[in-house]
Amino acid sequence: MASWTCRFLLRRGTRLLSQRSATKSPLQLLGCVRTVKSTTWFDEHLTEDNTEYMRKSISEEYRKMTADKLNPLKDEPWQRHEWTEGSRRVGLVALKLGMMPIWTKTGERHAVTMLQVQDCHVIKHLSKEEFDGRTAALVVGGKNVSPFYRSEEHMEMFMNAGVPPKQKVTTFKVSDNAVIKPGTPLYAAHFRPGQYVDVTAKTIGKGFQGVMKRWGFKGQPASHGQTKTHRRPGASGPGGPSRVMKGKKMPGQMGNRYNTAHGLKIWRVNTKYNILYVHGTVPGHKNCLLKVRDTVLPTRSSTLLNLPFPTFFTEEEADLDEDLYAEDMFVHTEPSLTLT
Amino acid sequence: MASCTSTFDKCLLSLRFLRHLQLRNERFLSTSVFRLAADDNKPPKFTPPPKPVIKDKNQADVSQRKFLSPEFIPPRQRTDPFKFAIERKDMIRRRKVLNIPEFYTGSILAVTMADPNASGKSNRFVGICIQRGGKGLGATFVLRNIIDNQGVEICYELYSPRIQSIEVLKLEKRLDDNLMYLRDALPEYSTVDPNMKPMPFPLAEEVPVNQMKVKMRPKPWSKRWERPKYNVKGIRFDLHLTPEEMEHAQKWAQPWLEYDMLKEYDTSELEEQIFKEVQAEMK
Repeated sequence: MASWTCRFLLRRGTRLLSQRSATKSPLQLLGCVRTVKSTTWFDEHLTEDNTEYMRKSISEEYRKMTADKLNPLKDEPWQRHEWTEGSRRVGLVALKLGMMPIWTKTGERHAVTMLQVQDCHVIKHLSKEEFDGRTAALVVGGKNVSPFYRSEEHMEMFMNAGVPPKQKVTTFKVSDNAVIKPGTPLYAAHFRPGQYVDVTAKTIGKGFQGVMKRWGFKGQPASHGQTKTHRRPGASGPGGPSRVMKGKKMPGQMGNRYNTAHGLKIWRVNTKYNILYVHGTVPGHKNCLLKVRDTVLPTRSSTLLNLPFPTFFTEEEADLDEDLYAEDMFVHTEPSLTLT
Repeated sequence: MASCTSTFDKCLLSLRFLRHLQLRNERFLSTSVFRLAADDNKPPKFTPPPKPVIKDKNQADVSQRKFLSPEFIPPRQRTDPFKFAIERKDMIRRRKVLNIPEFYTGSILAVTMADPNASGKSNRFVGICIQRGGKGLGATFVLRNIIDNQGVEICYELYSPRIQSIEVLKLEKRLDDNLMYLRDALPEYSTVDPNMKPMPFPLAEEVPVNQMKVKMRPKPWSKRWERPKYNVKGIRFDLHLTPEEMEHAQKWAQPWLEYDMLKEYDTSELEEQIFKEVQAEMK
C-alpha cells in the first residue's frame, strides 16, 4: 500500500513540479522517495498522449493480427491425421453469457446456457515427454487482454504463437493424432449440435460456510429447549475407531474451486457470433471463462463420431449455416406446433 | 365619427344582403338547369349503391400507438448487452410467425394453445391478464378466470411454440400493474364470459384505464395488500379496513427507497433504441 501511494505522488509530483516550480521550491512537494524498485509500470516514462497512443496502436495491431492470421500458420501446416477410435480432440475456452429458454419440437421447454467463444487460439503444443509422459497436450487461450502489466516470460508464449495475450490459458490433453499447430484459431463450430460436452469452471465463491449450507446437514430444531445448538454439525462419528474418519464433512470454504458439469447436450451453435447453447446450468458466474471439451462419459461417446477432426477450419467448411440446430429443437421461424 | 361608422355598417349590411340573394339565385338557377337537362335525356340507368366494405377494426388495422412489449427491455444487471441482442433476434423471428398483440395487465385475452391432454389437442382459454413477468424469451403472462365457481389461472410462455394464437378481446389497463389481489377479491371481478366477442378498442389514442376498484373477500388474504410494499390502488380498502388499520400498515413503508440513486434505472433511451431496432426488423 505504501509503495502505491509513493508511486502516485511521484507521478503527480512531476506535473505539479513543472507548474509550480516558479513559485515554490521542489523539495517541499517531493516529500517521498520511491521504495519498490523491482517492478515497473509500462507508462512510467510516457506522457498521457503517448500512453493512449500505445494502447490504441497495440489493440489495432492485435486486431489486424487476428484478422490476417499473422502467425506461424503461414508456414507449411502440420500433417493431418484421420479420426480413429479413442481419439481425443482439443477443447475450447468460452465465456459464459447467460441463460435462456429453448423449446423442442414436442413443445418441451429446456433452459440452456449461452457460451461465447471469443478469440480462442491454440498457443502451444506440449509433446508427451514435455507434458506428463502419457499423453500430448495443447495449451489453449481465450479472450484477448492488454499486453501491458504482463511479464516478459508470460508474453513469450503468446509471441511464439503469434497471437495476442489471453486472459485464460488452459491445457487440454489430446491424442497424438489430434494435435494442431499453435496459432490456429478455434471456433464454436468445433462442437456440433447433438453432441455432449463437459464444462469446467471455477464455481461462485461462497466463503467459509457451515455444514447446513455446505453439505445440506439438517441442523437442529429452533426451539424445544435447544441451547446454542441450531446449525451445528452434531456428532462427528462413532466412538469405535477413537478418531474422526477421513473426509468427514465439516465447515469450510465453499465454492471458488474448479468443478465440472458432465454430459451436457449442445442444442444449437451460432457460427457467426460463435455461440454454443449448452443444456442446463454450468458452473461459474456470468462472464466467467470456462473450459468446454468433448464429454468423457462412455454412454455419450456415440454422439462424438461425426465431428470435425482435429478441429473446424473455416477454409474447409466455408458454406456452414449461420445457425446449426439439434434435430429435435424448435426453430423460431417454423410455424406454431400442432400436436396430433 | 359615430355617424361615419353607422353608415359604414349599413353599407356592409346591404352588401351582405345582396350577396346572399345572389347565392340563392345561383343555387335556384343551377338546380333548375339540372332538372331541365335530366328531362331531356332518357331516364337514368339504375346503378346499385356500392357494397359497404365491412372492416374488422380490431384486428385488420395496425395500431398507430407506439408500443414496445416490456420483455424487450433488458433487466439491470451485469450481463453483456450482446446476450440480450442475440435473444431479441429470436424473439423477433418468433413474432414474425405468431402475431403477439399489444396487451397489458387488466386486458382480457383469449389464448389458443396446443395441449396434448385436451380433446382435439388444442385448448382455448379466455381470462383477464393479471400479471406479466420475465424478460427476453422467457417472458410469461398469467390469465385468470372463474370456471364452474373455481378460480383457474394459467401461466403462458409468450414465446412458446405451443401457443397458436393470442387474441385481445378487450384492451384496457387497470390501476395496478399486478392484479394478483383478484385472488382475494369477490369472484365477479375475475369472471369473464368464455364466449366473449372482441370489443373495439382505440387505434391511435391512449389505452383506456379502467378506474374500477374491487371489493375483497373477508380477511385473511393471501398477502397483506394494504402494506405499502404492494402499492395497490385498485382495492376498496375503506370497506375492509379501519383508518387505524390503514395507518398501522404504513409502519412498513420505506419512503427512503425512492431516493436511492443506486436503484435508479432509466430505460427511456434504451427503450427508444430497441424500439427502432424492432421496428426495422419487423418490416
